[in-house]
Amino acid sequence: MVLNISEILKPEAIMMEMKAREKLAVIKELVDYMVANKFVKDGKEFVKALCKRENLESTGIGDGIAIPHARTNAVKGLILAFARSPKGVDFSAIDGKPSHLIFLIASPDDKKSEYIVALAKLSRLLRKHNVREQLKRADSPKEILDIIKKNEE
Amino acid sequence: MGAEYFNMKFKKVILVLTEDTDQMIITQVVKLCKKFRSKLFVLFVIEVNRASRLARLTHQKTDILDQEIEEGGWKLLYLVEDEAVESDVWTSLHLENGNLMDVLKKYIEAYDINTVLTKRKDETKEIFVSSPVPVIGL
Repeated sequence: MVLNISEILKPEAIMMEMKAREKLAVIKELVDYMVANKFVKDGKEFVKALCKRENLESTGIGDGIAIPHARTNAVKGLILAFARSPKGVDFSAIDGKPSHLIFLIASPDDKKSEYIVALAKLSRLLRKHNVREQLKRADSPKEILDIIKKNEE
Repeated sequence: MGAEYFNMKFKKVILVLTEDTDQMIITQVVKLCKKFRSKLFVLFVIEVNRASRLARLTHQKTDILDQEIEEGGWKLLYLVEDEAVESDVWTSLHLENGNLMDVLKKYIEAYDINTVLTKRKDETKEIFVSSPVPVIGL
């Protein structure tokens, strides 16, 4: 399956600096942003699905990264959003460090394969130290997309 | 052995994934964890030189194989997680590079794991021999 993170992530789904500092508030801020940009059908249902997963496991995967994710019919298709938090958010990460780079992934129930592939590709990409550092320093959504595109080639 | 014994032995389990772990095994493990309300740690280890050894056998490029192995590992991890979430089973996903047994021992100690679950095959043979906690072959 050919699926590129740089193609799923749209410039209008990138928040260069988010305001919220607490996990649930971060999720809500990101979901509101996605609702405003018409990526999401039902914001409340989407938050519920994301919180269910957060309650079962930490999506803070360490190294300053969190990938909240859910499979739910509250979204229209496979979606990806990115937000940066300069001060960091406590996502109960495995390494105890705050998350500065937050990627939110979701898909409808019937897009399980694409959803799993997207999560796998994103996780692999974010294991690279240089990618994480570049994403922290990028100045614009375009730069974010360029970094991802260059590193997933 | 009573229910209490099993509840204790399955309190924290670790599923060691191999590249060919199939859906049937994943479903079996999730069911087991639901039954015993276990915390499920899921581990995929990329063995040192795995890609270069495969490259010699298949005449493919090492970096491409490296990428495929890691992506395949993440896919398996997220497949387990997806099924676990459906069943309200707590999971924690881990992908590591290194020697399988060394990494596994580190996890058993760090997370106080009670039981190891893994596919019974050549590459997991050492787990059955050297694991400090009981191992269940699937």
